[in-house]
Amino acid sequence: MAIIGNPKYEQRIERHLAKYETKRSAVMPLLYIAQEEYGWVNSDGIGEVAQILNLDPTQVKSIAGFYTMYSEKPKGKYWLQVCTDLPCALQGADDFHAWLKDELGVDEGGTTDDGLFTVEHVMCLAACDKAPMLQCNFRYVEELDQNKMRQLLAKWRSEANGRG
Amino acid sequence: MSDTVTINIDGQNYEVAAGANLVDAAKWHAGNDIPVFCYHPKMDPVGMCRMCLVELGTPGRDRATGELLRNDDGSLQIRYFPKLQTACTTTVSDGMHIKTNTQQVIDARNDVLEFLLSSHPLDCPICDKGGECPLQNLTMRHGPQASRMYFEDKQLLEKHYPLGDLIFLDRERCIQCARCVRFQDEVVGDDVLAFHERGRRLQIITHSDPGFDTYFSGNTTDICPVGALTTADFRFGARPWELNEVPSISPWDAAGENISLSMRLDRDFGGKAMIKRVMPRQNEWVNEIWITDKARFGHHFTRAEDRLQQPQMRTGGTLRNSNWEAAIAAMAATLQGADGDVAAIAGSGMSNEDLWALRQLLEGVGAGRLGAWPPTHDAAPHLEQVGVGAGTNLSELGRGDAILVIACDLEEEVPIWRLRLKQAQDRGAYLVVANARDTRLEDFAVQGARNDKVVEGDAIRYAPGEAVSVMRDLQKAHPQIAERLSRAENLVIVAGAEGLSLAGSEALAAAAANFLIESGHTGSANNGLLSPLPGANGLGLHYLGFTPQTTLNIMQEPPRVLIVAQAELLDDDPAAQQWLSQVETIIYAGLFDDGISQRADFILPLQSFAERDGSFVNGERRVQRFYTAQGPMGQALPAWKLFGGISQNAGIANLKPSAAAVMLELSGSVAAFQGASYRALSRTERQFPDVGGRDLYYGGTAYTNHGGIGLQIPTAADRGADVQRRDMADVAELRAGEGELLIMPITRLYNRQRSFRPSLLVEQRILNPYALIHPDDAAAAGTIDGDLIEIVAGESKVRVRASVSSEIAAGGVALPRHLTDAAVPLSASVGTVSRVTDAVAVR
Amino acid sequence: MNVIKGFQTTAKHLMEDAVTIQYPEQVQKFHQRYKGRHHLRRYENGLEKCIGCSLCAAACPADAIWVEAAENTDEERYSPGERFAKTYEINMLRCIFCGYCEDACPTEAIQLGHEHQMSYTDRRDAIYTKDMLIDAPAEGAASTPQQVEPGAYNRSIPDMEDPS
Repeated sequence: MAIIGNPKYEQRIERHLAKYETKRSAVMPLLYIAQEEYGWVNSDGIGEVAQILNLDPTQVKSIAGFYTMYSEKPKGKYWLQVCTDLPCALQGADDFHAWLKDELGVDEGGTTDDGLFTVEHVMCLAACDKAPMLQCNFRYVEELDQNKMRQLLAKWRSEANGRG
Repeated sequence: MSDTVTINIDGQNYEVAAGANLVDAAKWHAGNDIPVFCYHPKMDPVGMCRMCLVELGTPGRDRATGELLRNDDGSLQIRYFPKLQTACTTTVSDGMHIKTNTQQVIDARNDVLEFLLSSHPLDCPICDKGGECPLQNLTMRHGPQASRMYFEDKQLLEKHYPLGDLIFLDRERCIQCARCVRFQDEVVGDDVLAFHERGRRLQIITHSDPGFDTYFSGNTTDICPVGALTTADFRFGARPWELNEVPSISPWDAAGENISLSMRLDRDFGGKAMIKRVMPRQNEWVNEIWITDKARFGHHFTRAEDRLQQPQMRTGGTLRNSNWEAAIAAMAATLQGADGDVAAIAGSGMSNEDLWALRQLLEGVGAGRLGAWPPTHDAAPHLEQVGVGAGTNLSELGRGDAILVIACDLEEEVPIWRLRLKQAQDRGAYLVVANARDTRLEDFAVQGARNDKVVEGDAIRYAPGEAVSVMRDLQKAHPQIAERLSRAENLVIVAGAEGLSLAGSEALAAAAANFLIESGHTGSANNGLLSPLPGANGLGLHYLGFTPQTTLNIMQEPPRVLIVAQAELLDDDPAAQQWLSQVETIIYAGLFDDGISQRADFILPLQSFAERDGSFVNGERRVQRFYTAQGPMGQALPAWKLFGGISQNAGIANLKPSAAAVMLELSGSVAAFQGASYRALSRTERQFPDVGGRDLYYGGTAYTNHGGIGLQIPTAADRGADVQRRDMADVAELRAGEGELLIMPITRLYNRQRSFRPSLLVEQRILNPYALIHPDDAAAAGTIDGDLIEIVAGESKVRVRASVSSEIAAGGVALPRHLTDAAVPLSASVGTVSRVTDAVAVR
Repeated sequence: MNVIKGFQTTAKHLMEDAVTIQYPEQVQKFHQRYKGRHHLRRYENGLEKCIGCSLCAAACPADAIWVEAAENTDEERYSPGERFAKTYEINMLRCIFCGYCEDACPTEAIQLGHEHQMSYTDRRDAIYTKDMLIDAPAEGAASTPQQVEPGAYNRSIPDMEDPS
């Protein structure tokens, strides 16, 4: 699929374009759409965003590279970003992060063999009081411990299997 | 408000231009080299590298009254910023104080360098920039003695990343100054470079198709403050300190770019000095500090193996190697025995000295027909009248000014003009592009906004062949555009010859001249006419009496003896074979054999621009000299020496001892060249920005101009002559009949001209033969995009791929010159297009 | 009087060992740091140490060295890194054996050895080319050019020890 001419995104794209005075300002919301469509910001997505906004693909790629919310590598269905900044670390977030990687058998930034989970650490997500926490596909999951996490992983696995 | 302000640098007052950049002002007025990496005087400041930190203070004012605060002794109270400020993002203001030599500033520079070097590889011994590297130089001057960083933390990155065919990126060496990114964006207008990632992982990338392949890409290697960008052509060619710089002029187009030939001995060239690289030489009126890739990478022909190297003479029906003495004597006899039925055709690569010697020879044997090659553009008479005024500098055009570019594709014909005109539009000038097809400059003209700034421009698309009437009737057909152009403070019109016959190009120039005269835009700097005459010395031909009409006359009534000098007739003119057959004796002097050796009686090797002294007149009428850099190829002679030798042998005039002596005589004989002695042409002056010498960190590795900034020939309007508009009620325009199309030869910068072919690096970027055709016309001819088509126009018959696009107006076919082996028509002519069914490979 | 003084000196040395040696039958012992004819060294794996940087030529007070560089590829590798000396010549008539080239060399590629017997019957024979200057590869090592694993030798200057 593509994002251009895709009825799923037509209205959203229109809305984003209408929001800004200059067309190029819509590059970030459109990159989210591309990421949603392809699972990551790939070359096709960049090309399409560039085409919509009449920009050079290099400029779009540059934006996608600067922000960590855009992934330029394929990633799992569940993208787990653990905050390990200082306040979280004091609450044991870096231990939690290390444990999670062990649990799933992946390295930093790696994806599980079944393609379900990608784990990486990120800078402050502004939920220090609920640490350890992570965001799964940009949704916060807070006050985690190993037990809770195991349950969550099991839930996501069955969710994925149920649908797939 | 006055135009100047007083600033204080390290305790001393300087009067500097208001609005100047602090780094520029300190350098220009105080000779204070504030070190920079990211700042470049030709681009907007970004303040990224932090190298230019200074202590900065301004006079304090009382908040309530706005009065200037004074110390007890009556002196002004200077309030310094608590922290260091970046000088490059600061504009001077009255009373500003800066300190550049305090401990705080010294420490800051030291720290910035330590930081930049924390991941810089120890490549200096093998780096092409080593020896002319701003990072190296500034480290020596301001840097720390040792690093406190951990060696194992050094980043190891890709060292050989091709950004395009011509430029390699070394990611380890890059210090992220963004000069290349900004050059592509601000100067060229082709934003195919950008940063990717962030922090320590920040890298230059391109993600475009095609990638980094502008005609100006080589300039990024000059402004790169480290060795991160290197050219594929020069890679490891020599160390900078081994090179011997010879000032020269680009031999390719009417811009007359000032270049510097970096010479060094080379075993691959028999141990003789050869051109290792071509670098820009500063001339702010002509090319600033930029050159095109064609000038930079197209130098290989000067030592090409297939250059003519030995004089040859036809005896007994076969061409045999000869010697100069015999050949000159034989030619002198031939010319004298021709009863004055002699003519000459000179190419636009001939220098003024050559043309003068050739003219003297012809006049000496009682002949007067002097033809210019190629006979495609005839704007020169009008350039002599109302060309851009003396002192014109395209980089002064800006807000309130206007530019009209008609019937040419400057990107392909004179890229430096397109670069500078695009920047004029950035500065606020109104840019109008008129053509029968889409061109690169037109894309800029109609862009609307660039880099978040509004740019103003319009495009006029006319039917093929109608350029003259569009120009003549501009007021009627496009009143708003005409009004804006007329009312502009300064107006420059660039009139080409695309889609026009020779007479048409003259008429277009006349119509453009009329417009300029009517609106009063003549006789002053930054106003007047330009034309992209082909070759380096198109205007020199004109001022020395060689005209394209005479060429047409020669073609119609061929003489008994024809001298062809540096003109590749057979490559350019499909009819040449035919009319040359009527010439009794052909004397051919040139660099390459285009097949004329089949017919010619004398084949004489000439020296290229790199092998001899000489001068060209560029499109802005600037007479500029070039110097001897390379030894001659074989027995090649400079043309002035050859023709002077024949004159001497025939008893017409004595051979001059040097090109300088020829020029001295010429400057005393031809009014236009009055005062243009070599001494006058070599005059230089200080130009802003300072480049070369110790200033590498500032403007890049462009060279200081030591060869001369040249001398501009004044126009009739400049001299105060009363230039009259010409009545042009009747204009004969080319019209295609039923079932026919107007075949418009167009120029591509990279083509298969003999002098460009030896530059193998660029050769791969030459397009395959094609022709641009409108979908309606394509449908009529029964072809689709990518089909092999045959185009027949007059004597020309070429097979190319059809590129079907509405970028061209219906009724015309744009057919690039010199992509096919067979010659395309000399200038626009009526022809037919048909689909080739018996597919034979193109080229 | 002076005559006697002179003979005294002679007599004093009469009993000592002779200093004169019978060259060429006898050859003088050289000090380790004696500077004779140059050698271009190789690494143990046979790759040339010289990277064609021309610093020796720049340092040479007699202008005796001529270097022309070219680019290495992994298919045809002469030295580590990107650059190697395509041409390397020393004009032994010009050379004053000062050893500045050795000091200037960033890779210890050029070293002055102990050979000193150099004679020529033709001026042109005094130009020593790279073939004459370069050492033979070590026992078992291949000569250059070598075909090597891609990316194995991407540094010109050998890693230096941390000076701190």
